[in-house]
Amino acid sequence: MFEVTRYEANRRVRSTLALAVGLGLFGLLVIGIFPSVEASGVDFEAYVESLPDAFQESFGGGAFGTIEGFLAAEFYQFVWVLLFGLYMAYTAGGAIAGDVENGRLDLLLATPVSRSRVVVETYLSLLTPIVVLNLLMPLFVYAAVLLIGESIHVVDLVMVHLLSVPYLLACTSIGMLLSVLVPRGDLAQRGGIATVFLLFVFDSVTAATDFEALGAVSPTRYYDTTEILVDQTYDVAGAIVLLLAAFVLLAVTRALFLRADL
Amino acid sequence: MAAIEVDGLTKVYGETVANDDLTFSVREGEIFGFLGPNGAGKSTLIRMLLGFQSPTAGSATVLGRDVRDEQALLEAKADVGYLPATPGFDEGVTGRTFLDYQAELKGDERRGELLDLFDPPLDRKIRAYSTGNRQMLAIVQTFMHDPDLVIMDEPTSGLDPLKQEHFNDFLRRERDRGLTVFFSSHILGEVRRVCDRVGIIREGHLAALEDVEDLLARGGKRVRVTTADPVDAADFEFPGVRDAEFVGRQAQFTFTGDYDDLVAHLTGYDLVDLEIEEPPLEDVFMHFYGDAPVDTASERNGDTATGSGDDPDAGRDAAVTGMEADDV
Repeated sequence: MFEVTRYEANRRVRSTLALAVGLGLFGLLVIGIFPSVEASGVDFEAYVESLPDAFQESFGGGAFGTIEGFLAAEFYQFVWVLLFGLYMAYTAGGAIAGDVENGRLDLLLATPVSRSRVVVETYLSLLTPIVVLNLLMPLFVYAAVLLIGESIHVVDLVMVHLLSVPYLLACTSIGMLLSVLVPRGDLAQRGGIATVFLLFVFDSVTAATDFEALGAVSPTRYYDTTEILVDQTYDVAGAIVLLLAAFVLLAVTRALFLRADL
Repeated sequence: MAAIEVDGLTKVYGETVANDDLTFSVREGEIFGFLGPNGAGKSTLIRMLLGFQSPTAGSATVLGRDVRDEQALLEAKADVGYLPATPGFDEGVTGRTFLDYQAELKGDERRGELLDLFDPPLDRKIRAYSTGNRQMLAIVQTFMHDPDLVIMDEPTSGLDPLKQEHFNDFLRRERDRGLTVFFSSHILGEVRRVCDRVGIIREGHLAALEDVEDLLARGGKRVRVTTADPVDAADFEFPGVRDAEFVGRQAQFTFTGDYDDLVAHLTGYDLVDLEIEEPPLEDVFMHFYGDAPVDTASERNGDTATGSGDDPDAGRDAAVTGMEADDV
């Protein structure tokens, strides 16, 4: 058991590390400019409040003046919710469709490995970037925050990462579903990016409108970095919704793949 | 028990009938050639046998397991090797990593021995492999778990002639050890060299099924003769010559007779050039399956399947009836 996961996870190590370095550098940049933002004395909250609701929602809703609010809006909202979410949907999109397209899957399915196992173990291998980045990045962020002479609650930092896992799993499941629905790897990848991005935008534009309830279809609705870091509220129910959604999408993916003509 | 049993197998994609009511079986310990032009439905059948696609109608078994039952087929797959036409590899891993992975999934009792025969550069990334090296890696992968049945889709494409001959020798030795081989190809010569029996597929139908000697005897050879002096049509009217064409000092014909007669006849000329080669597959179809090969053959095939086709006189019928006798 887990030979497929082990092999596929190994293949993802390099891109995961590249991603860790890239996001780490971006984090360093964001945290590095905080002291000058703070020193500028600009009232960012007033500025943010002057923006339309949809923008306020997209950019974490203010509290830029504190390191927590700044991190939540400038780093976690943008990098973790958007970039990392898109990356997972993109990667998962290519996972099955790409292997079908270039014939790799034929050599795998010719061995005594069931289709169900292929789907589940491929999914598990996609946990590699989620686990590695959520372990590395909090250490990195914590060190960088201390370095600029600020401080941050360790529990909040841990929670912003922990609660991102269900969100990222949901994005991964969206990608995987497309990966068995769409016959071409690059299409499934782009479809994954487009779907997660559109859901993000949809959640933002419906926020604080009469259509706010509709935004509930977007995974971004259930993971709010500002809420965690600034208000110290942890949306555990939202995390459970995301986990359930991820699981249901994976079950649908598996069922479709069992019947697919390859 | 037949290694592969195909019964009324049909696959339809939208309007296209890729496999139309195929019925035949592959006996244990034979090398069975599945011959047909590109697009005839060879790969479709292979994909159904491996459970990659589900039949629209009909059924098939591989090593006694129903291909429509994934769980059953998985048991068979432990003893099946598959060599795809263009194997899909992870370009970024080395050949060794790929084989290690395959070994974890199905075993590799014979890896070392195979690598003595087929030697791709294992420590190089597959991205850097030549077509021949890719094919050798795929061959090692196919046989390394010592399968009872090997299914190959156009196996020798990409191998140089010497390696191809090594591979054919290897196949014959494995057959003698009891291996069953199902071998698809669009090249008559390739099938001729190794196969015991041949099924011919055309436009999704099984057009014929016969021993390879019979097929060859009736397929003949393409002969091209260039002489020092102009030749005359009358010079080449002797038994075994068909479809002769003459241009100046060149004669071209299909020869199905005794080679001694041909050689004896040719000694009477001052030869400048002589070529003897396999007839193209399409020519074999044209000569032996006529203008409407598909309908006739499928009808007969259907007859045979129900046990009523019995007309051993005509050559073509003998072939199809031969199938019936073989398959019982």
